[in-house]
Amino acid sequence: MYRLIVSHETRLLARTGALWAILLLLVFAIGFAALAGGRSVTRQAKGAADAAAFEDGVRARMQADTEAYAARLAASGGTYEFATVDHVPGRGPPQGTNAGVVGAETAAYVVLPPTGLAALSIGQSDIQLRYLPASMGTTLDMVKNLEIENPVNLRTGPFDIAFVVIFLLPIFILALTYDLLSSEKERGTLAMILAHPVSLRELLASKIVARASVMLAVVMGLGLLALLGVGTQLDQVETWLRFGLWLLATLLYSLFWFLLAVLVNVHGRSSATNGIMLAGTWLILVVIVPTLVSLLATTLYPAPSRMDLIVAAREAQTAGEKGMGDALDRFYAEHLDQLPAGDQRAMDFLTLSQANAASIEKALLPLYQQFREQALHQEALVQRFQYLSPAIMMQLALNEASGTSTARYQDFLDQAYRFRGEWNDYFASRFLARSPLRPEDYDRFPRFEYVPEPAAAVMARLAGPLAGLLLLCIGMALLPLRQLRRYQVAAR
Amino acid sequence: MLEAIELKKSYGSHEALKGLNLRVGAGDIYCLLGANGAGKTTTINLFLNFVTPTSGEARVNGIDANADPLQTKRYLAYIPEQVMLYGNLSGLENLEYFARLGGHDGYSADDYRGFLQRVGLQEDAAARRVKTYSKGMRQKVGVAIALAKQARALLLDEPTSGLDPKASNEFSELLLQLKGEGAAILMATHDLFRAKETGTRIGIMRSGRLVQELSTDEVSHADLERIYLEHMR
Repeated sequence: MYRLIVSHETRLLARTGALWAILLLLVFAIGFAALAGGRSVTRQAKGAADAAAFEDGVRARMQADTEAYAARLAASGGTYEFATVDHVPGRGPPQGTNAGVVGAETAAYVVLPPTGLAALSIGQSDIQLRYLPASMGTTLDMVKNLEIENPVNLRTGPFDIAFVVIFLLPIFILALTYDLLSSEKERGTLAMILAHPVSLRELLASKIVARASVMLAVVMGLGLLALLGVGTQLDQVETWLRFGLWLLATLLYSLFWFLLAVLVNVHGRSSATNGIMLAGTWLILVVIVPTLVSLLATTLYPAPSRMDLIVAAREAQTAGEKGMGDALDRFYAEHLDQLPAGDQRAMDFLTLSQANAASIEKALLPLYQQFREQALHQEALVQRFQYLSPAIMMQLALNEASGTSTARYQDFLDQAYRFRGEWNDYFASRFLARSPLRPEDYDRFPRFEYVPEPAAAVMARLAGPLAGLLLLCIGMALLPLRQLRRYQVAAR
Repeated sequence: MLEAIELKKSYGSHEALKGLNLRVGAGDIYCLLGANGAGKTTTINLFLNFVTPTSGEARVNGIDANADPLQTKRYLAYIPEQVMLYGNLSGLENLEYFARLGGHDGYSADDYRGFLQRVGLQEDAAARRVKTYSKGMRQKVGVAIALAKQARALLLDEPTSGLDPKASNEFSELLLQLKGEGAAILMATHDLFRAKETGTRIGIMRSGRLVQELSTDEVSHADLERIYLEHMR
């Protein structure tokens, strides 16, 4: 019986223009979103590769200089020395022997590799840079290109496939289901059907299955096409696992909207009333609640102003410079390259500037801590309030499955900061000891290796939203049952 | 085949049916007469389990329609005042869908065409979309559905109202055929002439009560009209 009604409903749908119009819109929306998502991923990847190639090139030239220097010394004799800042190009030791110069003027890029699904859910990645320069200097230099203050609209992302699924898919689903029973009743076919041995429950379930299978087949097919379109390698287990979780979330989220249409339809009101009620519910759950939760998060736990960071950095710098004493010292602090050759002060100033950077970094540390804490507070609040709206749960689940979640990015930032420390220690210790960098040292510079989060951590973060969506669907499936028994087939 | 036992239905304080007792056997065409609001449609809706009785039972083939509706609906066919079908499907497709809903999967395409031919639907119309059909054509598809379902009881709710005399006559002919095959037919109608012509028995209802039952062969057209009008006063 179910199969009969499902195939009948599918045939009816195929003969109405509405389904084709909706599918066409869906295909357009997903296609456009896939393009946007793919562009965002390739842009970040290209940016990271270009930046890293540039820095590597600079270092390669420095290494070549030191090699030439070493070769010259091997021919003419002499000791391998440390270049002072006032060195003259072509004479004496090249700049590449100075650890302070190499460590501060070149950077190593730390890169957060995108997951196979990154193109499906850009998340906040357009403001969360996926590649950061690690060098001596301060953490501020590292993240100055990063928008640390999340914009007010933390929860409404760019036009990616996640946006289409969260915002537009419910509209399409409701357009196909708002008159699930009411249209049959208004057309008079409901009485014709129910004069046959068919229960209302069977009828409703079959109607949902017919519509859901069409919609989900399209979403899944297009999702997979989008992945292939942005060149995702589909040979990795992790990618399939993530795609599976992505589909599971999409399935549950769609099911919620189908069940909502059922819940509204079993009360026997007119199609027009059903349509208005469903549109209102969409507005509340998808637009209003997420906006309010995001507003609550940024109001209760505002991120410190970016200005505060810059002012704090300036103050620390000024304080450091005051300690240097007289005007001459201050002048040279700003014009290191103009120090007379062989002056002992040249060396002292290098040390001083290193100390200066360290003190600025120390002054900034509590502010970074504050940023981090406020961001975590905001995230925790959104996590707690996600159960108010399936749209928030869905956004969190999709970001997590696509590897664009805030938690994954914070973990990456922690790794990036740790690496900057490593890089700084490596070069600062050699520089302060005036130990010259030799060509072979270049191959031993610290390298950033991204350590992926354990799968268990990702799953644990996904458990909340997925369980929430599942429970919501079970509740929504049970709610209409009682009302269904009282459904009036015939007007009195 | 159809049996109402002390059947009552109230909507709030309004009693639509006040203890109806009625039997329609195989080969009977029982015509329910009465003004609008007398309880004719309520009676039919109770047999279809579209509404739940306040008390009493509506039995189909000995089974309470409210206790086991999916079973009783296997025996029933329903032809409302307007047989409503899927406008985007052809007459054949509609017939096939409803026949299969009734549990009959074994028919061939020729069988379906045969049913439509038997009820007198023109051959070229059978493949056309139903939204182009007249009311008479749709009522014919309704009868074809009943034929395909091999229904043992038919519930008809003013099926001929608004049909032209010729279509109405054709419809009555079909009912007589079904009667000949042993179907029990309960028909609510306003058409005294048709009731006398095709019916075997007549029940006159007023404000939820069956006020008189008579056999059609006992009365003339004129008597029937006189009796009916007396009850309506």
